[in-house]
This record gives sequence, structure tokens and C-alpha cells, in this order.
Amino acid sequence: MNCAECKEILVAYLEGLLAEDQKHAVTEHLKDCHLCQAEVKQLTNLQERLVSNGRAAAQSDLENEVLNRIIREQKVRLKAAGKAGAGLELRRLIMKSSITKVAVAAAVIVVAVLGVHYISAPSVTFADVVKPLLNARTLILDVIVNMDGPAVDEDTDPVIHDIIVGSRVRRVISTQEHIVNIFDTDSAKLLTLHTEGKVAVYSDIQGLVQEVTRNYVVFLLDIITDVQNNPDFEAEKIGEKEIDGQKVVGFLARDLTIWADAETALPVRIEGHSPRLSVIYKNFQFNVPVEELEPLVSMNVPDGYKLMESKGEEFDMGTPTEQDLVECLRVWAEVLLDGNFPESIGMTELTKLLPQVEAKLAQSIASAEEGTQKGMALGKGMLFIMGLKDQHYAGSGVKVGEADKAVFWYLPDGADTYRVIYGDLSVKDVAPDNLPK
Amino acid sequence: MSENDKYYIERCLDGHPDDFRYIVRRYQAVLMAHLAGKLGNRDKAEEAAQESFVRAYFNMNKLRSHGSFFSWLLGIADRVAKEHRRKEMLHQQREVIRSFSQEAARPELSQDYGLEAAIAELPESYRRVVLLRYYGGRSCSQVAEQFDLPLGTVTKTLSRAYAMLRKSLQQPSETESYEVQK
Repeated sequence: MNCAECKEILVAYLEGLLAEDQKHAVTEHLKDCHLCQAEVKQLTNLQERLVSNGRAAAQSDLENEVLNRIIREQKVRLKAAGKAGAGLELRRLIMKSSITKVAVAAAVIVVAVLGVHYISAPSVTFADVVKPLLNARTLILDVIVNMDGPAVDEDTDPVIHDIIVGSRVRRVISTQEHIVNIFDTDSAKLLTLHTEGKVAVYSDIQGLVQEVTRNYVVFLLDIITDVQNNPDFEAEKIGEKEIDGQKVVGFLARDLTIWADAETALPVRIEGHSPRLSVIYKNFQFNVPVEELEPLVSMNVPDGYKLMESKGEEFDMGTPTEQDLVECLRVWAEVLLDGNFPESIGMTELTKLLPQVEAKLAQSIASAEEGTQKGMALGKGMLFIMGLKDQHYAGSGVKVGEADKAVFWYLPDGADTYRVIYGDLSVKDVAPDNLPK
Repeated sequence: MSENDKYYIERCLDGHPDDFRYIVRRYQAVLMAHLAGKLGNRDKAEEAAQESFVRAYFNMNKLRSHGSFFSWLLGIADRVAKEHRRKEMLHQQREVIRSFSQEAARPELSQDYGLEAAIAELPESYRRVVLLRYYGGRSCSQVAEQFDLPLGTVTKTLSRAYAMLRKSLQQPSETESYEVQK
């Protein structure tokens, strides 16, 4: 080996990357060649210097400072983008997954609306006029709910479109048509699809959401089964009329008015009235084959969709707490209404706000995690309210931070004192006599 | 290409800024060394490195190939360093005018970063290999993998880079090595 050849592979030699025979050749050459020995020494010195400087540089710790700067900058940018009405691209970039997560939370809100009605609803029995025609395992329908006013406004209130196949429900809400929610009440899972962003999220609905969704399905299928199977039902007939050219017969059963087809006995329209809720079920389709609907209620992530991972209990909708309600009120007031508490905290109102929820959250949050948190807070807070019997909202005209004004109070089950939430979102125990007037 | 970079970049693009942490962790030493070489001072390098990372984060959607993140990041750092030097020069000129003093006229380039300064002067294809090998703590084969190069090319690149560095340092490497300040 000559010096040129040696120099050529000297670095590989020093890095220990040569094959045995080459390594041997270099070692042999170095024994006799002082020039190359000097070269080795120089190279090693330089390398040592590099290694030592590299170690010193490795001491730097920029992580937290960089992350903080990014979060700050992101907030500024989103604010500017929001003001300019532009920056949609930026928001989409940052929020792709958050929006889906917010949507998941929104789904909870609507589940809750439907659920509360059925928690204690026994299966409805009423006499039949005509023999039933089908064995309903599938059901497609529209539901309009209003919890705020005395009656449903069919023109303006959000419409929930449900496809029910066995224990699964595919749900789309008219205020959020790009969000599809598929509930599996057996496995207590919810699959949410964002059809524009092509993202999918799984969440856990074990507990209240699972229960109320199941009750809802059982309730609806019961109505139909009863119509089919019980020829002696005892309901008060209230008359006949036409709906969309169809001749229907009306019955009253408990707090429901059922308008069924005069010939087939299949429900055409069901109206529910209770002090806290008005609801209309309509546009029923009964005889769609299971095979046709099965793909629509699949719990698998569809082709072309990206599954968003969730960490730990991020999507646990299990048990809502008072803290969830406090967070719900905070997000509602701070994010949606510029620091003012809402006029009322009705469900329909929140459902109507859903499109804005996405946009406003997207502007105010800096990360997907924060979006999830806030979105979930809205949903879970509403769930918490659903379960309360003795409750009162008084937040109209109150601003966030007004510690002397009560916003909401409720009587926990079995308690003697009320829990009162104030404008600064603090919570205190208050005896019934001392409640705000 | 670098699979890890790709994964974390996609996470960031999906709205998880927190995952940018791993990118910072991977490249902070490299970037610090590179910028210390260019700016000659640790504090300035740190400031510029932070800014480079932040800029990279907000421009990530413009990154064509998620596997070539490192070279792209170095490009951003180069621009940031250039801007910082220009700003500093303007500042110094203003100082001169204000104080009528010539003393502050020239930016003092710390000798501590002679080696890094020499690296910063290397052509792109050499400097990225040296930086990643020594400041990114990668082995030759890891460097080869990241840049999709044959191993032989990496050692030859290093060999050429050493020669250039020695020439540019123009001092015998027997002298005591310069430590990077903590």
C-alpha cells in the first residue's frame, strides 16, 4: 500500500469501518510511514476536537423555550387569521384533528338530548288497528328536538338523521353535516368521521352515553314492535288526518302522540311532549334490508380515512361531573360569547351553535389537545345537566368574572344544600333559604 | 430517509405542536453548533436556533419531502443567521454614530467557535455530514442512512471535509482544542 492509497481510506480506518484485510494493510503501512503517522495524528486531533465540541453543544436545552414560542406565536397567528377572515388554510393545518375531536364532543351533546327522554321511559304499548307488516331490525328516521322552548320549530331546529341497525346508530346532525357519528351500544364505542378532513376518532361511551343511546334504540324499536305484535293495544284514538298525502290515524300514549299509517300501522310521525323536552320523529323508513345498511354502521375506519390516536382518557365520556359543567360554562362564555354567559343553556341553542363552536374553538386554541379538552367540556357539562333534577340557570346578562352573581345552581341527589356556580366560576354550598332570588 | 423525522412532522401537521419537541431534541445541538459557528457567540446562537425552529414549525407545510427535514432546517438557520448579522451590523453602525466611537464598530467574533465557524463555511454537502456526525451524535452508517448515501461516500466526504477544515483553521491541530463555552 502506498501513501495515496492509505490516505484514501484513512478516515474509514479511523472510524473502524474497514474489512479485516484492508485494515491490516493500513496498519502495516503505518508501521513504516512517518508521514502517514503524522496524518493520523492530525486527523485524530481534529476528530477529538469535533467530538468534544459536539458534547458541549449537546448541553443545550431549547425544547421548552421553542415550544413556548410556538404556542405564543400560534395564538397570535390564529387571532390575526380570525380577524382577517383569512387564514383558513393555517387553521386547517393546525386544527385538522382538533375539529374532529370537537365534533366528537358535539355528538355527546346530541346524544344527551335524545337520551334523557328515555332514561325512565317504559316500552310504550298501545292497541293496533291494522296488522303489522314487517320485522323491523332497521330503521331510518329524522328527529327534531327542542329542550329550550315549549314546542319544536320544524323549520329552524336542527334535524338529527339516524340510521339504526340492530344495536348500532349512524347519526348526522343538520348543523354539522360533515360529521358522522356511529355508536355501537354493545361495545360502548363511538366512531366519529370527519368527512371533509378524512379523519376518524374512536371514543369510549361506556356509562351514561351508552345507556341513553341504548334506551333510545330500544324505545324506538319497541314502538314498532308493539304496533306489529300487539293487536289489543289500548291507546286513546284521537282522530285521523293526512300527512304528505298519507292517511294517518292518531293515538295518544303517555306523553306521546303517534300518527300511524291507517293501513299499515307503521308510525309516520311521533310527537313527544314533556315539560323539559319537545321532540318529533318523522320521515321513517322501515323496510331497508340490513345488508344495505350494514356498511353504513361499520365500526371500522373507512378506506382513505386517517385514524387519530387518542391518549388515555381523552375521549372518555363516562361520568360527567360538576367540574365538567364549570368548564362547559367557561368555554361557552369565554370562547363562544366573548365573556358573556348565554341567555339560556338549552340544548337546542347549543346544537345550533355547533358550526360556530368549531370555528371559534379553532381560533382560540393552540393545540389539538386543548381543542379536545374544550370540546369535551362542552359536551360533558351538558351531560351533567341532563342528569340533574332540581336545577336553575340565571346566567343571562352575567359576565365571566362577576363573583357576586350566581349563574347556575342545583341540588345534588340526597343533599340538603344547593351547589351554586358564580360568575367567576367558583362553586359554593348554599342553604335553600339563601339561594339568590 | 429519516423515518422518525417524517413521523413527527406528520404529527405536527396534524395539530400536535407538542410533538415538535422531539424534532427539537434531535437537532438542537447540531443547530446550536452551526449557528455558533456563524454568529460566534453562544447566546446569539441560542436565540437564532430558537427562531429557526419556530420558523421551521410554521413553514412545515411547505416542506416538500418530509425526509429531507434536516437540510431544509439548516437552510432556514442560514437565513436566520444572515438576518441576525445584518441586524447586528445596523445596530453597531447606529452605535458608532451615536457614540462617535470606533471601538464598537466591529463585531467581535469569539475565538471559541473557530471550529464551528470553519464548519459553517463548508459547502452544504460537507457541512451537513460533519454536523450530523459530530453534533448530532450519529455514526457514519446512520449519517449514510439519513442522507441516503453509500457508506463509502460518507467517509470520503468526511475525509475531504477534514482537509478543508484543517486548511481553514490554518493552525496545527496539536495546539490545545477550543472548548465550547457552557
